[in-house]
Amino acid sequence: MVIATTKGLSRAHEIYTDRGLRVRELRKAGKKIVGYVCLYPPVEIISALGLVPFRVFGDMSEPITAADQVSITVVCPFLRSIIDLGLKGKFDFLDGIVGAHTCDIGMTLIISWRDYVKDAPFTHLIDVPHTDHAPAVDYFEGQINSFKRHIEEFAGEKLTDDKLKKACEIHNKQRKLVRELYDLRKSDPPLLTSTENLEVLMAISSLPVDEGNELLEDVIKEIKNRELKPPKKKARLLVWGPVVDNTSLYQLIENADANVVIDDTCVGTRAFWADVKAPYNLHALAQRYLVDIKCPRTYRDSCHQELERNYDKDLDSRFNYIKKAITDWKVNGAILQSVKYCDTHGYEVPNLRHYLDTLGIPSIYIEHDYSERSLAPIKTRVEAFVETLDLR
Amino acid sequence: MPGMDNLTSHLYFAGIDIGSTMSKAAVVDAESRMLAYVVGPTGAEHRLYANKLMEDILRKAGLTLSDIAYIISTGYGRVNVPFADKQITELTCHAKGVAALFPEVKTAIDIGGQDAKVLKIKNGRLVDFLTNDKCAAGTGRFLEVTAETLGLELDEMGRISLQTDSPVKINSLCTIFAQQEIISRLSEGELLPDILAGVYIAIATRVVKLARQLKVEMPVVFTGGVAKNAGMVKAMEAVLGVPVLVPQEPLITGCLGAAILARDEAFKLVQRGEYEGHRDKKLTEARIDFGEKSR
Repeated sequence: MVIATTKGLSRAHEIYTDRGLRVRELRKAGKKIVGYVCLYPPVEIISALGLVPFRVFGDMSEPITAADQVSITVVCPFLRSIIDLGLKGKFDFLDGIVGAHTCDIGMTLIISWRDYVKDAPFTHLIDVPHTDHAPAVDYFEGQINSFKRHIEEFAGEKLTDDKLKKACEIHNKQRKLVRELYDLRKSDPPLLTSTENLEVLMAISSLPVDEGNELLEDVIKEIKNRELKPPKKKARLLVWGPVVDNTSLYQLIENADANVVIDDTCVGTRAFWADVKAPYNLHALAQRYLVDIKCPRTYRDSCHQELERNYDKDLDSRFNYIKKAITDWKVNGAILQSVKYCDTHGYEVPNLRHYLDTLGIPSIYIEHDYSERSLAPIKTRVEAFVETLDLR
Repeated sequence: MPGMDNLTSHLYFAGIDIGSTMSKAAVVDAESRMLAYVVGPTGAEHRLYANKLMEDILRKAGLTLSDIAYIISTGYGRVNVPFADKQITELTCHAKGVAALFPEVKTAIDIGGQDAKVLKIKNGRLVDFLTNDKCAAGTGRFLEVTAETLGLELDEMGRISLQTDSPVKINSLCTIFAQQEIISRLSEGELLPDILAGVYIAIATRVVKLARQLKVEMPVVFTGGVAKNAGMVKAMEAVLGVPVLVPQEPLITGCLGAAILARDEAFKLVQRGEYEGHRDKKLTEARIDFGEKSR
């Protein structure tokens, strides 16, 4: 057993900078590491079988070069980055990988991985329907069931009700701790920066769930007790969109006289807001992942059984969780960001901006190509946006 | 204005706009009246050039650095003006400068050397904006490359385009592909004025598409280096379907806005009682900064 020498925020920073740090140690000690892409593979099942779930991210500072051999260039650069890192051997510590049909490229990623990256002992693709309608939830439960059977075989053990219950409880505990961490940004100034927050979330996505929970408890204690606090700034912003797995975007925003106090992104609130509800079974998992995670990859059409569609009511049912976040975290501006070619998020933008307008929340939409360098032109736009927020 | 008495009437305020292609500076007095401006190519050495620009504007205005109460830098190279008291984005500065010249303005379109921006302005303040800064298509650079391809001067190109009312349709907006298209149109025997008018229409179409996303409201002001071109102004009006106002010197709205914002900032400091001695401190810091860079 290797004892970590750092604690709390510095431990989070250490793992953020070398995400494979802990899982490589665990692997040496005989643990099996199962990578997963996006939010839809149920991590509870991975943990319950004694495997270590490891969320796979890209790397915005690594130019995409190798992936060009196996993928076209006009698709999600985040997913291309993952394939690129895989081809370069950066994920060699993974014993298996689970993907999901979150979007078309999310699905082809798993196929490319199996064909080109590595003949991993375990590769699985979960099909995920694109609505939250009741028959879709039932279908998704079937998909989770076939994933369960496949990974049981790989782990060499059965998923008992008791194991699943314990895993759901410990993952729910993690979600509760993350929400506690977010509560620390409700004050003005917030007690931690969005950069620190992201480092913690990236770290716990690279650790066994119990170790992640320990880290979260340490971090929360440390932040509550520390003297140095982030400075008060002109704007309190919400950041929306797909994956933000690199602190450079948050740093850019926080250099523009703004604090990011809350997000609606898949490394942040989307990953940790919803609990699995008891009784803990596969149906509860299907419900949590397909219905309760609010990612635009699932179309939530509240009016699909009504004859006449009420536009305002539909917008409200789709986005009122954002309204709640805006109120609770006292947000006065929103940055909607997306990676290039993400049609899933792109289509959501006009509706969401309209909704934010009705709430009186100014917003800006920015697109980048998932590289640290591409952020430079965005800087001026973010700064100008903060300048237009007349709060002083 | 309360607090104004504390600022002696001989104090002045400067704005410096380091753009991708051209740099500009302006000085205003306490009443926001412009005393002088200078314009020159940016070049590779932003920091050295910012220094020279400041010397030039002071000489032209007949002032010394100690007469300047506050300096704001803006533009692409705004971080490279070490003696500036504050940096503000070119979007906010352009809006301020345009509104100073045209107080009723609601929409401003600015096409610079390598970007295009559309500003929505309400009561003289920037309220919304969109930019195209990912590629040179539809910017000044596009026109420069076209002029190079055809061996013409920029002004000449504008004048020639005014000779026709039947522009050729240029389909490609990519700077590189459009040059190929221009050449092939010439070889097909199309007339030069028609082709040039087509180029301007293509650029206008691209930026108007951006403007329509924010809804175009009159009056519309057209600024930036590209607005100096008569052919471009004609094309912009044709595509927008409304007349556009062009300042006498369309390059300087950014630095003028920065200078006026510098005046506003200085007044705010006076009101808060924080003005005393702030300039001297800033200048000392800037000198240290310069020293380190030149080593």
